[in-house]
Amino acid sequence: MKLNENISKEDRKMLNGIFWRSFTVFASRAGATKAHAPGFIYSITPALNRYYKDDPEGRREAMMRHTTWYNITQNVGTFVMGLVASMEKKNAQEKDFDAESIVALKTSLMGPLSGIGDSIFWGVIRVIAAGVGISLAAQGSILGPILFLLIYNIPSILTRYYLTYMGFSLGSSFIEKIYANGSMKILNKAASTLGLLMIGSMTASMVKFESKLSVPIAGGKPILIQTYLDQLFKGLIPLSITLLCYWLLSKKVNVNWILLGVLVLAIILGLLGVV
Amino acid sequence: MYREAFLAALTVFVCYGGNWLFGQTMIERPLVVGCIAGIIFGDMRAGIIMGASLEAIFMGAVDIGGALSAEPVTATVLATTFSIVLNVNEKAALALAVPIGVLAAFISMFMKNVVMNLFAPLVDKYAKDNNPRAMAIMHYSMWFINYFVFSLITFFSVLEGAKPVQHMINSIPDNLMAGLSATGGLLPAVGFAILMRMLWSKKLAPYFFLGFIMVAYLNLPSVAVAALGIILVLVISFKDKQLLDMENKQKELEKRPVAAAGTGASNNETAEEQEEEDFFS
Repeated sequence: MKLNENISKEDRKMLNGIFWRSFTVFASRAGATKAHAPGFIYSITPALNRYYKDDPEGRREAMMRHTTWYNITQNVGTFVMGLVASMEKKNAQEKDFDAESIVALKTSLMGPLSGIGDSIFWGVIRVIAAGVGISLAAQGSILGPILFLLIYNIPSILTRYYLTYMGFSLGSSFIEKIYANGSMKILNKAASTLGLLMIGSMTASMVKFESKLSVPIAGGKPILIQTYLDQLFKGLIPLSITLLCYWLLSKKVNVNWILLGVLVLAIILGLLGVV
Repeated sequence: MYREAFLAALTVFVCYGGNWLFGQTMIERPLVVGCIAGIIFGDMRAGIIMGASLEAIFMGAVDIGGALSAEPVTATVLATTFSIVLNVNEKAALALAVPIGVLAAFISMFMKNVVMNLFAPLVDKYAKDNNPRAMAIMHYSMWFINYFVFSLITFFSVLEGAKPVQHMINSIPDNLMAGLSATGGLLPAVGFAILMRMLWSKKLAPYFFLGFIMVAYLNLPSVAVAALGIILVLVISFKDKQLLDMENKQKELEKRPVAAAGTGASNNETAEEQEEEDFFS
């Protein structure tokens, strides 16, 4: 990508500073009201130091405006950090710049960016990485955890890096554009499709149920219920239980109750001698 | 037991704290934590296998927007410790991991959202003082305090909990044990359901079932499913892009006649002329 062509050397140094500091953005959490504000301020400090070098009052005001609640999927959030850096630059240069718009834009981007970031990185890349990792690790191979880390982190860190520069050079108009021309929709659909395919495949390989129940036949070998179930549809019970959990979740049942419910169900089945 | 307790707590601190200090690089996931705990307690293979089973269970336990359903690090470390050090049956250790994870998540949320609120006024103060240095120091101190206190839970659980847990597990009857083993097989369902909530739409639902059949009947390994999935998604996206371009063009065409209604006739003429020229050339 040719993103850093028009960026001066000092600005590049500052953006690299933001990139490295952004790794710690979620290290602290200042309660439910501010969340990761300290991490955000710490991450954009290189920008504040650079543009308010001779203006301590300006830097003070900038720090104060960023003490509000902050939370964006962290490797996508660098886009906003770059964007904020470019706006703070403008604010330092132009006397009549509306400083409030910086916070307004930052806040308005949190929802959409986290939505995309969570579904691509949590829902797809991590699921693929874990799928590959689990299948190797289940045989005791150390390649499992190693590949898992590589498959997730390489795209994640590259995204973190390029979005820092993109936020700085492209600015807010870019997000509006890809929303308006529909590219965002295609990206979202592709991510969800791949994610669902992987989750389906992992439901088949990882959700397991086997019944020990058998029907005794006079004079012959008893017939296992499980054989019937498999003939009907392979993995019928795991699939139904997964879909049931999904249905309960969509009815806004608390996750912990569902976890407990599955736990209790399995134990009862065990006590009854079904499994 | 002091040594084991200390090592287990250290693993939690390094993996959980480290994950959030180094950009959520996934070193807090059971796959990695199990491997590290295995190395520390001298049985890497057992740790990796334990991690693989727990990864499936905690797949959906993701920290999105600070709302955590189950905390995988403490659960994995304790399950691996119990399994390797105390020789607890692997299946039973897995079943224990789930309630531990839910409880740990509760404590973690309490720490991060309630206890750490103490620092919120300081954030405002250091901003007002124009003091980024103090802000940075506080940022890192909060990290240390939170994860240090949190890893103490593991320390005391191993120290105090080891004997009662061993005793309890020895006295579990067989059919209850079978039930506990079955939980390990069924719990991943909850995790996948949580992920499905994020991605599901009626139009895309068939892909979930396609993925299921690819493994249940075709026995494809997950790398193959991922590769086929990427090809499929690319093909669909190219088609979608084509459709989108056509739609955008159509929209532009619909707009144009209104804007250029007066010049419509002459436009037609030039278009015809153009066509003739193209024909003869």
